[in-house]
Amino acid sequence: MRRRDFMKLMGIASTASLMSSCGVERSTEKLIPFVVPPEEDYIPGEDYYYNSTCTECPANCGISVKVREFNPIKLEGIENHPINNGALCLRGQSSLMRLYHPERIKTPLLKNSAGNFEPTTWENAYSQIIKSMRDSEQNGKDNLYLSGRTTGSLSELIDEFCKVTKAERLPEYETFSYANLREASNIVFGRPEIPNYSLDKSDFLITIGADILETYISPVQLTSRLNKAKREKNFRWTHIEPNASLNGFQASEKIRIKPGSEPYLLLFLINFILKSNLQKNRIPNNILAVLPQVGVGEVESQTGISNQVLNDMAQSLAKATSPLVISGGVSTAQSGGLEIAVLTGLLQWATGMATDGVINFSISENYSSVGSVLDMVNLVNRLKNNEVGVLFISNTDPLSTMPDETGLEQYLEKANLRVAFSDFQNKTTEKCDVILPLSHTLESWGDAEPRNGLVNVIQPTIEPIFDTRSEGDILLSLLRAYGKNQTAAGYQEWLFSGWNEKHGPAFADQFLKKGYAETIPPKIALSLQANRIAEFIRGAKFATAVSDPVLFVTPSLRTFDGRSAILPLSREIPDPLTTVTYGKWVSISKENALELGVKDRDEVRFEIDGTSFELPVRIQPGLAKDVFTTHRDQIDCKLLNIDPRTGETLTALTNFSMTKTGKSVAIPILSGKMDQEDREIIPDHYDDHEMEHHHEVKATLYPEEKYPNYRWSMSIDLESCIGCSACVAACYVENNIPVAGPEQHLRGREMSWIRVQPYYNQKEEAEFLLMLCQQCGNAPCETVCPVYATYHNPEGLNAMVYNRCVGTRYCHNNCPYKVRRFNWFEHEWPEPMNRMQNPDVFVRGRGVMEKCTFCVQRIRKAKDIAKDEGRKVRDGEVTPACAQTCPTEAIVFGNILDKESEVYKKSQSDREFRVLELLGTLPAVHYLRKGEETHES
Amino acid sequence: MNRKDADPQDTSSGKKGNPTAIDYKDQLERDILYALKKPTPLYWGGLALAAGLVIWGAISWSIQIRTGLGVTGLNNPVGWGAYITNFVFWVGIAHSGTLISAILFLFRAKFRSRFNRSAEAMTVFAVMTAGLFPLIHLGRVWFFYWLFPYPNQRYLWVNFRSPLIWDVFAVSTYFTVSAIFFYVGMIPDLAIIRRLKEGIGKRIYSILSMGWVGTIKQWRHYNQLYKFLAALATPLVISVHSVVSWDFAMSVIPGWHTTIFAPYFVAGAIFSGCAMVITLVVPMRKMFRLEKHITVDHFDKLARLLLFTSLIVGYAYIVEYTLAFWSGNVYEEGQFIYRAVGDYAFFYWLMITCNVVLPLTLFVKKLRRNISYLFVLSLFVNVGMWFERFNIIVMSLAHDFDPYNFGFYIPSIIELGITFGSFGWFFMFFLIFAKTLPILSITELKEEVHD
Amino acid sequence: MTDKMTFSKRAEFISKLRELLESGVPPKKLKIVMPHPDHEVDEIVEKYVPPSKLKYFTLAGALSGFIGGFALTIGTVLDWPLITGGKPLISIPAFIVIVFEMTILLGATVSLLGFLILSRLPSFKSIISPEDYGNEFVILMDRRDE
Repeated sequence: MRRRDFMKLMGIASTASLMSSCGVERSTEKLIPFVVPPEEDYIPGEDYYYNSTCTECPANCGISVKVREFNPIKLEGIENHPINNGALCLRGQSSLMRLYHPERIKTPLLKNSAGNFEPTTWENAYSQIIKSMRDSEQNGKDNLYLSGRTTGSLSELIDEFCKVTKAERLPEYETFSYANLREASNIVFGRPEIPNYSLDKSDFLITIGADILETYISPVQLTSRLNKAKREKNFRWTHIEPNASLNGFQASEKIRIKPGSEPYLLLFLINFILKSNLQKNRIPNNILAVLPQVGVGEVESQTGISNQVLNDMAQSLAKATSPLVISGGVSTAQSGGLEIAVLTGLLQWATGMATDGVINFSISENYSSVGSVLDMVNLVNRLKNNEVGVLFISNTDPLSTMPDETGLEQYLEKANLRVAFSDFQNKTTEKCDVILPLSHTLESWGDAEPRNGLVNVIQPTIEPIFDTRSEGDILLSLLRAYGKNQTAAGYQEWLFSGWNEKHGPAFADQFLKKGYAETIPPKIALSLQANRIAEFIRGAKFATAVSDPVLFVTPSLRTFDGRSAILPLSREIPDPLTTVTYGKWVSISKENALELGVKDRDEVRFEIDGTSFELPVRIQPGLAKDVFTTHRDQIDCKLLNIDPRTGETLTALTNFSMTKTGKSVAIPILSGKMDQEDREIIPDHYDDHEMEHHHEVKATLYPEEKYPNYRWSMSIDLESCIGCSACVAACYVENNIPVAGPEQHLRGREMSWIRVQPYYNQKEEAEFLLMLCQQCGNAPCETVCPVYATYHNPEGLNAMVYNRCVGTRYCHNNCPYKVRRFNWFEHEWPEPMNRMQNPDVFVRGRGVMEKCTFCVQRIRKAKDIAKDEGRKVRDGEVTPACAQTCPTEAIVFGNILDKESEVYKKSQSDREFRVLELLGTLPAVHYLRKGEETHES
Repeated sequence: MNRKDADPQDTSSGKKGNPTAIDYKDQLERDILYALKKPTPLYWGGLALAAGLVIWGAISWSIQIRTGLGVTGLNNPVGWGAYITNFVFWVGIAHSGTLISAILFLFRAKFRSRFNRSAEAMTVFAVMTAGLFPLIHLGRVWFFYWLFPYPNQRYLWVNFRSPLIWDVFAVSTYFTVSAIFFYVGMIPDLAIIRRLKEGIGKRIYSILSMGWVGTIKQWRHYNQLYKFLAALATPLVISVHSVVSWDFAMSVIPGWHTTIFAPYFVAGAIFSGCAMVITLVVPMRKMFRLEKHITVDHFDKLARLLLFTSLIVGYAYIVEYTLAFWSGNVYEEGQFIYRAVGDYAFFYWLMITCNVVLPLTLFVKKLRRNISYLFVLSLFVNVGMWFERFNIIVMSLAHDFDPYNFGFYIPSIIELGITFGSFGWFFMFFLIFAKTLPILSITELKEEVHD
Repeated sequence: MTDKMTFSKRAEFISKLRELLESGVPPKKLKIVMPHPDHEVDEIVEKYVPPSKLKYFTLAGALSGFIGGFALTIGTVLDWPLITGGKPLISIPAFIVIVFEMTILLGATVSLLGFLILSRLPSFKSIISPEDYGNEFVILMDRRDE
């Protein structure tokens, strides 16, 4: 009997967990999943796709969930979805880990007298809650329901629940409530909403502070539209910001502005438009009367932007056919943020943006029930006055992100009974009495309405892994416990009957199949609220440029407001600007670093408002002197204040002092150096002569490459790539790449197969290179493997044979791109995270080398299908995980032998280059340099 | 008189006046036998220390096998570190032994005969030590046999284009040929010890010497064999260390990809081997009271060889630098600047001091003839040559093409344990050799003496 | 019966040997034992005795190593052709290294084998009862046929 068979028998016969704890050999646990499949037409080994919605952030992108043997193993964007158009961001890809995270709350918890949580039953929990609710009614206290942004049918159910139990539904709490933006829309247009921005219809985009590529409102939506706009000719994007963010480095033009001086810029632009008589919509006189006039010199000195740049911007704005100005992010989260938003609205009106269709209020984002911190202040007052009986806190964690001047932390426990619905323990749940664990969206039924006219479906793809329920089911059970008998047994029934009622019986099937249902609401004719604007401007105090040092606390691309920090991937994948992975840091400019005498990882102490905190430093090229940035989840939210007018959290901290502590903090920084050092990793533009010879085959001693059928290649457009690292996350999930953790990162051992490499040049501009295995034609790694564990397959791939590898690591040393990764340890996949593994991809043990394979498992699948149909694989049939999730379609994959394929056409572009071409490795990855095509390809 | 307890300094074998050739030969035998007598506590202490280091190394290695190579300091981009340094270091040491044995034999250098036995032993044990490291550095050492081309059910063969397979063949060949050379050279000496020993000792050496008599027929075949082995071993020495250097030269990375490596490494190997011979022979000579047989003149000649090879190595360093900057290749230049002023600059300058600067003092005759000075200098050279390999391996990996990939490497305690373990392994075998086998080539020394 | 002549001085031994050989004593009747090889003795004896055949063993070994090296490398690469690094399948420059090592390996081992065969070693008779003559030169003349 062969050793393998013997091991398999052992695996079946003995306890699976015993065998899996041994290190050296892996045995299979179950050979035959079922003898009789549970459903008709169920084929083990086939992928099944279900449409659902990503709820990692409020954007609610539509996702297609790949399920294999009843375990969801990969999330993709739904093709042509109105929000994400087939893409999914880093957090979205990582959100699958939330489902399988071992630290999820697994049962209902009840706080005992000692203050510790004990598991309890659902019935017990429900009865406690109902009892407390009835007590409140008797004692004249209010029962309050606070949730994170909830839309669609669930929102209706909450309303019903509150109506029946006479509880009060509070305005929802979201960390980023866009309070200033909504209030400004209210003042300017009379609509307190966040409009939908059709970037793809504009030809000149100005963003002031708005981080549209990272977290702003609906980043994947904005990014994919930006991408569409870029592919049109004559699109220009100018990003104006006081700090240095990914958006600034990716925009066609970045303009640094002094913090707080944005109103001057906006006033200048408005005045320019008016003076040159280029406004598309008239601004009423009462506004003109109070609108401050600013001279160019004043604007220049306040903003720090030169005369020439200002004029050029204004001219382009005036001449553009459909310009778009968006303010947000750090600019509107200042004390003068509301003014900035109002002036932006005015500018939008004057230049016709609000009426041309680039700003669309008919399909505005669904933030109507979201309140602001002011509403939380009200809540705190009620708590203080002992008015609150039962407080429900569902799907939100205010204590982690709210400014503490509200006093919520202090007074939260004054509510009689605090009930939390949550999937993880967090700062808020720790202060609650009852915790009801929520099922993940992938385990639940529901729907979501991210914006007017669009409904996304949420359907379960797996039975709940732990003893959890969906919010809808919990509410219905509570209603039942309260005494109300309803016809729906569970939320699924309630949901379907609701759909039936609203949209008819044929709706559900189509809805589930498509994933979303869109109706185009009638266009709204906007009008300017002249009086309100005038009144506002009259009373406004326009801030001047801040001369003190400013610390900007920005949202984080990787963790949003901190909520995604629980996902291992969100911190395993580096921040694209600094390549820091785990740990907190503050980004400082080169000048400040010199002044303080600090280098990367040295610690500084901030003293502000009587408190102090320490953070290690990371030097960020592109930051202005005395401007510092850190992320929202790296700083104690106690330090933040609010704008009392709108409740917007102010995230620009001033009045602090900074000193060097002399200590050093070991934070993992993945990049060796962020400077190309003249090595032309991304080469300068070739001149015409070089271009002529660029595509020629150079003289070589090697035999010519011959590929009979396919030569898989990739093209990566650096103009489109925004460095969002969604591809990195997708690759991790698709290929079972282990999360290495902070200690291994400090030793230089992260496992990513694809990575974003930032390079800054002398002008403090950034270029991001996406590096992955180049599948070289003359691969240096193949020659040196002693055991043929890596060789060149007939389709041009550098094949990696895991079970042949003895681990000499010569291939890793010989790779000039250093894309190979070695398994230094046996990686653990704690239960139930191991259910997330893709069964099509081998899980590597210790001592084995791995690297990007161009998703060979997907190539093979496509080839199988093509073989069955007796044809070759067509262009577009194979999409690696990285290409599929990219919001800007920067990665194109295909067979370069096919002259009709997109990858071939891209490789003939005059922007094309390959990395380290001079080594003669003949890489299969063609990069397209930033910039425009000069010749037609 | 009882031969076993003979005092080596006693030349009174009964003859008065000038000792004859045969007296010298008898004396020589007595001296060698003295070395083989019962070990002193100092010897046991040394052996225990060496064995202790071996145990430390063995424990470290088993931890590494159980847990994975993560217990080392290796990472991306530095995939090779202390282990390959040790490998190249020990192969280099081995080469000098063959040089002294085989090449100096072909050149008929007289001083060779005092050192060649120790040198050959050193070669065999150094190759045994070196051969451990390709196993130790493997990620999946339990599949080490896949590196050999044996017929198997999966029809798999090895990649003969890979320098690592060349290593397998070269080092195996080198071990086999050195062992043959070592053994063959010892056969007549083993016969001598057979004659001098009694009881079980006689039996053992009888078997070891295969029943060698010393007839003229045997001597004629023996001479031919020795000549051929020396002639075969000479190109072997050059090829083996060239092959080991091609582990680096056949790669693409700056600092490794250079044609100078083969002669550079061979010269360096001879250089480090000579130093190791001095390190081994000086204390051994003292312990076994062989001052009469290995004199200052012999050390003088050895020191000149050391100086000569040091000059070659120094020249190679200059050539490397010159070509790096003359090439205009930004990656090559970057690498060599990094070597001099980067993270490991201290070890670079340590290497230069030990390998180039200090040996220059050997131009002074007095120093060349001062045995204690030679001993201390040889230790420095050993350190310098270890760090030369370390520098080449680690610095090129840490600072190659793409600045994003620049990294840093520090050996971990496991690697330290295995490194010291390898030194323990080597010295343990050498000590055992010193007590069981003739440490001088008795027959050759006899051959030099005429009445 | 055997005549045993021992000499403690080399010069005496050489002159006696020369005398014996020049007087026509067949070399195979002489068993000459020396504590170490001697150049002059070799010169004398080689006039009367054919040279050592060891060189043929060496040549045979080296040649088989040379051919075997090519056979192994080229044979295996044709058996399962795998392209690595774009290099030609039969990469002669790389294979030369293997051929070279195999040549030396087989040359040396076959030479050793040849030596053992030609010298009739290991000789079990001599292991059990070793013949030791010390540091003296010995000539044993076989007188049986006289």
